[in-house]
Formats: sequence, C-alpha cells, structure tokens
Amino acid sequence: MSTLLNVSSGPHVRDKWTTQYIMTAVVLSLLPATVIGVIHDGVHALLIVLSSIIAAVLTELVFDKIAHKPDTWKDGSAVVTGLMLALSLSPSVPLYIPIIGSIFAILVVKCCFGGLGKNFINPALAARCFLLISFGRTMTAFQVDGVSMATPVADLIAGKAVNVTGMFMGSTNGVIGDSVLALLIGGLILWAMDIIHGEICFSVVIAFALFVGLFGGQGFDPRFLLAHICGGGVILGAFFMATDYTTSPVSKLGQAVYGALIGILGALFRIYGSAADSFSYSVIIANLFTPLIDTYIIPKPYAYRRAAIAAQNGEPRKPLFQSIPKPVIVLAVITLLAGGGLSGVYTMTKDTIDEQKAAAAAASYRVVVPGAETFEKSDAVAAKLEELAGQVYGSSFGRCYINEAFEGKDASGNTVGYVASVTTADGNDANITLAVGVNADGVVNGISFTELNETPGMGMRCGDPEFTDYFLNKDVAQFKLIKGGGASGDDEIDAITGATVTSSAVVNAVNAGLDFIHNVMMGGN
Amino acid sequence: MKDTFRGGVHPKEQKEMSRSASLREFRPAGEMVFPLSQHIGKPAKATVKKNDPVLVGQIIAEADGFVSANIISSCSGTVKAVEKRRTLSGMMQECIVIDNDGEFRETGDFGTRIEPDQVTNEQILERVKKAGIVGLGGAGFPTAVKLQPKNPDGIKYVIANGAECEPYLTGNDQLMRKEAPAIVEGMELLLRLFPNAEGVIAIEDNKPEAIEAMRKACEGKGKIRVAALKTKYPQGGERSLITVIAGIDFPVSKLPADVGCIVDNVGTIYAVQRAVLYNEPLFTHVLTLTGEAVKEPANFIVRDGTNVAEILEAAGGLKDGATLKKVLSGGPMMGIALTSLDVPVTKTTNGLTCLLEDGAEVAEKQMTACLHCGRCTTVCPNGLMPQMMAEAVEAGDLERYEQKLYGLDCIACGSCTYICPAKRPLTQIFKQTKAEIMARRRAAAGGRK
Repeated sequence: MSTLLNVSSGPHVRDKWTTQYIMTAVVLSLLPATVIGVIHDGVHALLIVLSSIIAAVLTELVFDKIAHKPDTWKDGSAVVTGLMLALSLSPSVPLYIPIIGSIFAILVVKCCFGGLGKNFINPALAARCFLLISFGRTMTAFQVDGVSMATPVADLIAGKAVNVTGMFMGSTNGVIGDSVLALLIGGLILWAMDIIHGEICFSVVIAFALFVGLFGGQGFDPRFLLAHICGGGVILGAFFMATDYTTSPVSKLGQAVYGALIGILGALFRIYGSAADSFSYSVIIANLFTPLIDTYIIPKPYAYRRAAIAAQNGEPRKPLFQSIPKPVIVLAVITLLAGGGLSGVYTMTKDTIDEQKAAAAAASYRVVVPGAETFEKSDAVAAKLEELAGQVYGSSFGRCYINEAFEGKDASGNTVGYVASVTTADGNDANITLAVGVNADGVVNGISFTELNETPGMGMRCGDPEFTDYFLNKDVAQFKLIKGGGASGDDEIDAITGATVTSSAVVNAVNAGLDFIHNVMMGGN
Repeated sequence: MKDTFRGGVHPKEQKEMSRSASLREFRPAGEMVFPLSQHIGKPAKATVKKNDPVLVGQIIAEADGFVSANIISSCSGTVKAVEKRRTLSGMMQECIVIDNDGEFRETGDFGTRIEPDQVTNEQILERVKKAGIVGLGGAGFPTAVKLQPKNPDGIKYVIANGAECEPYLTGNDQLMRKEAPAIVEGMELLLRLFPNAEGVIAIEDNKPEAIEAMRKACEGKGKIRVAALKTKYPQGGERSLITVIAGIDFPVSKLPADVGCIVDNVGTIYAVQRAVLYNEPLFTHVLTLTGEAVKEPANFIVRDGTNVAEILEAAGGLKDGATLKKVLSGGPMMGIALTSLDVPVTKTTNGLTCLLEDGAEVAEKQMTACLHCGRCTTVCPNGLMPQMMAEAVEAGDLERYEQKLYGLDCIACGSCTYICPAKRPLTQIFKQTKAEIMARRRAAAGGRK
C-alpha cells in the first residue's frame, strides 16, 4: 500500500454544522423582519441595511489583512453584526450612521478584543449605543413622511394608547426591524433549530412582562403588557441581541439568570427611566455580567448532583421539586426579590418625593406670581383640568400636558395673577415641567422650571436667566421661537444654539400654559 | 427506566453497507503477529520462543499478575520471533510472530460441549481466565477480573452491551442475530455468579432483527430481558447504559460494580459461553470491515493476529480507483487511525473502517474561534462543560479544570468535538490535559517517596 494514510485523534466524523452555517441561519431568520422593514420604510432602509453589512464585512476584511489574520471575514459573523445594527436603526438616518456604526462594531468592539467569540459586549448593540451618544438627535428622529413622530413606546410611557397590531406588522413608527411578527417568526425558527437558547429569550420576555405587570401601574392588563413587549426592541433584543453566543452565559441556569436580568433591567428603565430605547442598554449591562455568571454558575456533572449521589448510595429517588426546572425557580425568585426590593424603596420614598415635588411646585408658582399668598382654583377650572388629564393639550404645542392651574390671591383675597403647570414630552432627553405665570392684566410674568433634565451645557441652558428672562413682563398671547438668532419683537425668542429641540419644547409648553390661562381661566380676556 | 441518557449525538449511522452481510470466517495465509499487550493491565509473558511449534488454541503468553490476560495462538506453525513489531496504535510493541503453516491444527482439548449444570461457579471463572477473555467492546479489561467484584451479592444488573452505537460497525448486530441462544446461555452463566442480579441485553433500536432474535432467545428466561434503546451515540458507553438501565449516574472514580452493575459486550459474553461450555479459548472475534473505500464490506469472524491488509483483501480490496484516506481500528467516533495497514488485529479490534474522506481533516480547514454556542455542553453525556474546560486549559488553569469543571470525568467519547460548529479539537485537548494532570500527579507522588 503506497498511499500515505491520514492519522489523527478521534472523532473522525463531524456534524455538518459549521460557524458559517449558524451565521447563515441567523441572517436568514432576520430576513422576514428586513423585508417588512424595507417594504414599510422604503428604499432608504434597504440602503441602510446594505451599507451597514458591507461596512461590517469590509472592516473585518481590512483588519484581517492588516493584522495578518486568517480570513475571519468569511465566517459570516460580520454580516450578522451589520444586519442587526441596521435593523436597530431608524429608517431615516443618513447612510454615514450605519457605516460608522458598523466600523465601530467590528473594529473596536470585535476585532480589538480578539475577534469572533472574544468580544465582551454585543458589537451591534455597542455600536448602536455609540451612535446614540454621538448622534443623539439623528438617531432618535423617527419620521413618517418627513414628519417627526413619537415611537409607540414613547407614547406608551406618556400614557397614551398605542396601535399593537401596527407594532406587530411593523407599520408603526420605529426602527427598521420593528415588525414583531416577522422577528418572532425568525426568532422562533432559530429556537426550534436549537441555534438560540430558549433559556435566554423566554426568560427575557417573561421577566420583562412580570416586572412591567407588577410595577407598570396598569397591572397584568394583556393589551398593556403586549404593547410594552412589542415596543422598544424587546423582541429584537430578546431573540437576537441577548442570545448572542459570545456575550451570554454557557450554562442553562446562567442563561436564565442573564435573561431575567435583561428583562428586569429593561422593564426598570422603561418604567422608571426616561429613554424609550433603553433596552439596548439593559442587554449591554447584562453582557458585562456574563463572565461573572460563567465563573460562578457551573452546573455539576450529572454524577455529582444530589439525586445521583443518592442513587449511587442506593437510596430511593426523591421526585419532589425535581420536576420543576431549577432555572424557573431561580428566575421567579430573582424577579420577586428585585421587584419586592424596588417596590419597597419606591413606597418608602414616594411620600417624600411627592412632598418635595409639591413644595417645588408651590415655590415655582410663587416665583411667577409674586405677591400671591394662596393659590386656588375655581370649580370650572378644576373640571376642565379633570377633563384634560392625561391628554395632549391643544394641537399646536406638541405633546404638552396641563398638570395644574391656579389663581393666585393676595392676603386680602384679590386676584394677583394666574399660573399653569405644564409638562412637555418633547424634551431632548426627558420630560420638562414648568410653571408659567401671568399677572392679573394678562401680562406674562415669567416661567420657572420644576423638572428640567436636559443635556448640561446644551438643553440645560434653558434654565439659565438669559433664557427665562425672555418671558418676563411680556404682554403677548403666544411666543415665537426664532432659530439662528435675530429675535426682535416682544413675542420673539432666540433658540439656544445647539439646543433647539429643548428651546422649542419649552416655548411650546409656555404657549400651552398661556393658552390655557388666557382661554380657560381668564375667559378669553 | 428512562428511555435514553441525557446528551449524546446522532452521527450518520452508515451501517447499511455491512448490516446485512452475514458473519463469515476466513483463514489467513500470512504470518500472524500477537502483541503481548492486548488488554488493560500488565503485558502477558511469552511462554514460547523462537522455533517452537504452536497449535490453534495454545497459550503462547501467560497472564502476568491479576490484571492481565493470556494470549492464545489462532494458527498453527512455528514461532518465528519474539520481537518488537508495529501495532495498531502505531507504536512498536513486543509481539510473538508465528509462521502460519495454513493448516490450523488445533490443540484438541476444546470443542466438546458440556452442559451448564455440570460446571461449577469456580470453573466458570477459571475457564474465563484461562481463555484469555478481555472486554471485546474495545477497552480490553480482563473479564475474569471484572467478574470478581468485591461484593458479588450487591450486583443488581448484568448488562450485555449490544448497543453498537459506533457508526459503521455491524459485527455485534450480526453476532446477535446468529448466536442469540449462545449469548443468552453466556448471560445465564454470568448471572450464576451474581445471585441478586437481573440480566439486561441492551440493543439500540436501529437493529430490529437482533432485538427480535434476542427476545426470542430470552423467552422463558425469567431473569433476562432485552432493552431496546434509542439510537444515539454514546449509548454503548458503559456509563450511558447504566444511566439508562439502572438509573444511576456515577463519577469516573467509581467502577460500574460500585453501583451494582456489570457491563459486558455481547461478544465477550459469547466468548464466555464458548470458553465455559466448549473450553474454547479466545482466538477469534467479530470484526466489521467497512467504509466507503471497501469493495465488499463484510462482517468477519477474524482470527487474532491477522494482518489488516489481508483482511482488506478478503473483503475484495478497495473499490476500483478508490484512494484510501484513513483507516480506523474501530468506528469513526472513538476509533484509532492506523499509520499503516501492515499491522495485526488484536482481540479488541472490532472494526476496520476504511474512509475515502477524513472528517477531521475537513474540520481542520473549517475551524474558527469558539462561538460559545454551548452545543458541546448539551451533548456531553456526563453533563460536563467542554467549552469552559477548553477555556480553562487555554488559560492554563488546571485547578479550575479539575476541581470546578470535573475535567477528569471526561470519557473522551468525542461527542463535543463531533458537534462543535467551530470545529474545535475539544476531545483531543481533554485527552492531552488528562494525561498531563496524571503525569503531574505521578511526579508529585514520586517526589514524596
């Protein structure tokens, strides 16, 4: 026999699944969502997807060449990263956004940490968060036919009804990959193929739903829960982002804990936080816990588990508790503990917070209605407020809500002015609440913020006297915001450079308050 | 009883090639080579020297100590040499080389049947020992030793391993079809040694004919039953069998007998029956010669010491134009790759798989970094975490490997390597690491002396 035989250690046959095969399956499973996204959002969405993928693959290719690495770009993981990033972007972003994002994801998050299997956070999500920080306004601008609109989750947080069917089909305002139905189809196929772990995706959704149900303020109302689950990338996150192999734990129990952590964090940010796209952050934070989970949660081999040791010693088997999978128990305990702890803290601090809020409000009222000793409201005004509760006020002020309105009276009971407290959901970073005062003659007496949490140095400058003083002693019905400077008239206000969104929100809120005072409280005088 | 163990993989069975080929004997013409170490334990001591005449069935090397086994000649002729020859493992080992005269003259003291009730329990053990029977499943542990556990009364199950979970191999399938009554008789002999035990013949459900034949042979034998098991690798591992049949998972530090089980390959049990009732020593065994490269895949009753190339010739040689890529002693999961065809088969060679394609070679080209997909952890039949184990080895943290991850409990079944999409050589790493840890322990023990 002249042929030289191959010699190697066994096994000598291998399963047909390769890294490429898995990556291809993931890409295919994302296709339904991609197709629906492109149908709804147009050709530009397709260009975003393509440029994101091409940038990702090219980045890895170039890195491989420069670093003299084997051709890892062929394994398909860069395609997955590029596609996932694209699907988590708004369809209206300019093309440089996905390109920069993909380069960041592949070069910084993946290649610099050692490539496939070595990154410590999900590259696509890291890139998304990087883009959110770097290009905040562009990233969060969701437009439908050129008109800026709120995403369903923003509406949900603001307490408005949302179109769940639309969210299922992906026709609502959101990222490219926002068709819950398409994502679920792809995700469930991956799960059925055993590519993604049910321990992760289902515990994310279950923990999230449990937490929202317990602390979302509307109980376990199915429509409310469904709306929350369908919005803000929960499904994309649970089935495609959280299940990323490299950044999730290896053991089943660890996976369940990790999934629960994402679900709880996501719900926590959703209910108590302000940003609608917080789900990305919860996945990334959980990613960071993965090494810790893997260090401490190592399942014992079958032979070393309690039941097996009993069996080895000839003791009868005890079926009690063994029928419930351990991850389920752990999941329930974690959710309850976290939830219980939070609700405890919330209850303990709620009264104090309310008192402080009331005091802050009262103080702000006095600022804008000087000379008032007491604040009262007529029954008619109270009824009108009741009617408006939770609804956007008027049609021309964006998303403004009238919280309170009072007549200020001096010690002898004469009306010295009027005040309205307005909250707008159009702030750049968070809700803004302010009080606007008018004296008895209808002259605007100034504004005062009770809640302003904008970007320091930018939106936050709306709270500076240079800006608030515009509103002092102006006998106007409505203010006009002038962008780019050059305000001249009494009713014109210069927008703060670099903070036009906040400026505009503030002016709208003031106008809403003035509108309410002039038309409802002063009866149109 | 659970219907299967946890984990495991299902490689392509590839048994169609040879599964219906009946067992056939063939008489080799060339020289016969008998390595002195064909079993676990001490190598046997040669009792013949150059130019001695030998007969079929003659002991040519004696067990050296308790854990060792006799070596029996399978041909007649003259001893040509006692020297180092290349063996299946690729190493040079001490062998007895016999110039086969082709006449196959027998010693004459075996072949006549005595009835089981005329044999005492002591005689059973004695004959098994004298016959040089070792575990024919592949490990080659001396059977006489296995049949003498510390507490014979504590044995609850004697399991006849007819799972044959290795892909390609079909020898035991054919043996069970043909020799079912003899195997059941062998099982009855074993059960006499363990009064409290039940006999279970475990067969994967991809061998319906064998299951049928064994069931028929078991009729009326109250203490023996057939268990049809799910076809899944490594169902035929003794640990997997015990998990399924006795419901016990146990660490590698324990022996099956410690948890009340004795597991023997059906081939071994057949050999026990031959040895006890016919006084026939072990010099033949079942061997499947198969693989895509072979012209006529076959199931042989092959004589120990036969040259591999000669067996291949007996099966019609290679397919026309076929280029042999890899030849395995055994099946593709745990088989050992041969360096050359000019080596003899030993007692434990249950298969020769001749491949046109080398999965390991293909895998090497497809290898990527570990994805952490966790597929290895779901297939490990022992519930180990291969991915973490490999990482611990990579990080040089042998303490974590051993203490936290129970790395030494790896049975090297190859399931994790088989399933790995990144094509990491996991089993190879674990085998190497185990050897390294053992070497360190020996060095530490030596240092203390």
